[in-house]
Amino acid sequence: MAIKVENLTKQFILNKRDGWRSIKTEVLAVDSINFSVNSGQSLALIGPNGAGKSTTIKMLTGILHPSAGQAKVLGLTPWRERTRLAYQIGAVFGQRSQLWYHLPPEDTFELLSRIYNLDRNQYKEQRNLLIERFDLGPFLKTPVRKLSLGQRMRAEIAASLLHKPRLLFLDEPTIGVDIVARQELRDLIREWNKQDGVTVLITSHDAGDIEHVADRVIVINHGHIVLDDNLSNMRQRYLSSKILSARFHGEHKTVDLHGAKVLQSANYSIEVEIDTSVVTTEKVIKHILELGTIADISIEDPPLEEIIAHIYSQPVTNNDSSTHT
Amino acid sequence: MKYSHTIFRKYFALAFISARSNFAYFAEVLSRQLFLAVILYILLRLWQQTYSHCGLQQMAGLSLPQMLWYLTATEAIILSSSPISTIMDEEIRSGSLAMQLIRPTPYPLYRLALYLGERALRLLANFFIGSIICFVLVREIPVSVVGILALAMALPLAIILDFLGNFLVGLAAFWLENTSGILFIYSRLTMVLGGMLIPLDLLPAPYSNLAKSLPFASMVYGPARQFVHPCNFELLQFIVLQISWIFVFSIIVWQVYSLALKRVASNGG
Repeated sequence: MAIKVENLTKQFILNKRDGWRSIKTEVLAVDSINFSVNSGQSLALIGPNGAGKSTTIKMLTGILHPSAGQAKVLGLTPWRERTRLAYQIGAVFGQRSQLWYHLPPEDTFELLSRIYNLDRNQYKEQRNLLIERFDLGPFLKTPVRKLSLGQRMRAEIAASLLHKPRLLFLDEPTIGVDIVARQELRDLIREWNKQDGVTVLITSHDAGDIEHVADRVIVINHGHIVLDDNLSNMRQRYLSSKILSARFHGEHKTVDLHGAKVLQSANYSIEVEIDTSVVTTEKVIKHILELGTIADISIEDPPLEEIIAHIYSQPVTNNDSSTHT
Repeated sequence: MKYSHTIFRKYFALAFISARSNFAYFAEVLSRQLFLAVILYILLRLWQQTYSHCGLQQMAGLSLPQMLWYLTATEAIILSSSPISTIMDEEIRSGSLAMQLIRPTPYPLYRLALYLGERALRLLANFFIGSIICFVLVREIPVSVVGILALAMALPLAIILDFLGNFLVGLAAFWLENTSGILFIYSRLTMVLGGMLIPLDLLPAPYSNLAKSLPFASMVYGPARQFVHPCNFELLQFIVLQISWIFVFSIIVWQVYSLALKRVASNGG
């Protein structure tokens, strides 16, 4: 077991000023959450701003002390054994850099090898592997200030893997990165998770990150876990709709079927949203086939953004029932 | 033995990378050298007039050349200071402190290593340029090998003590909206009570003794005085005082840091 969290709670006290008076307000950022993560699993922690996901990560890395509850990360209590834990975890905070701005990435790698007391041969072996897998060679000797954001993030993630951590925390790792570089980063994280068995805990606002990197998703809102499930179950459970796209060889007739809503319609194509709780997908396909001569047809799940938006709109459930291993 | 060697290499690597990174701020280092040249020229003229008007060969036990080399040393020390408390203030406020807290290196020691690396570079540059300027103006080097050794012994302890003071100012960001006020007071106290412009020996006896026993004198006055006017007994006395202050400040820093860690809120996300 990589992570075990029991009734973890974090309460912040905010001081607000009302004229000369100071008013203390208690904010419950994380409210008694429970979950566990098996070794080698890839878990996405998602939620809107202020939901409590980064606070959870910061408690699990030992940066923040919880107000109540327990957590074990790789068998250690993070806030009590932070230094011991630091040797076994890696972390990338998308908006904070660990690379030295005026120096090339290879200098930061060298420094990290000393900070983590790495054996020289093992360090060189791991560094060379990361340079190859993350394709860092072309900019390894370029000062960080001259790198693109995509290159910098590749170097950031490689730096966090240099000491061979068993658990990798990624907090918004693709924020601000362009779509091509984002896909590269996702592939690299996924590859490292699957091939090297590193447990991954990722937070992101980008549904693509979650779809490509995570096996399992925990949705947090207002400090509570509102969903803890694997990706495919999440789709089935939270959105009873499919998107059907069809292309025709000629003009087609109009859709007239209860439960099938036309999203887009052109001379030779159509896009329909199927409400599977009203009508079966099979019945809709049959109906579409009657509309004209089909050239191509595809059925897709709706974008994850829609699923997440749907979950956020649901009332909070008892998080005991969402505990999942 | 192997463990201590590994620890040393870790902190040396931090100090080294900090010094290397500071080469990028060449323009800033250069502007400090220009300021050093201007201020030394003004001080030279000022003290030449003072010695001449008073008709004295020595003041506070220092000849005019010694006085000017003393001032070169104090200016070199003061102008080598690093804005560590401002950096800490920003780190605490922005939440980037989180990146340092997940490292297997205690944050105060991490900051100390970076500080030593950066300050060593600035001190070398300042002493090098300052010595050239002072020699050009004075045409004399009233400094002995013993004085240089005394400086080499006292300066590292002075820098560590100054680091602890600055670190405490930086930690104040956990409680205060803005630490620039405290930093202003701290830096002015270091300049005035550290004897940057006037050797503390020139103060009336009770004030002079009091000022010499304060930590600010251990940061600036002591190393500079021993540089131009070394005295074995005074040096020993002075180093004992420096170590005592480092011990006291370390305890305060550790206590405040432990309290501060419980207040980490770490912005973002």
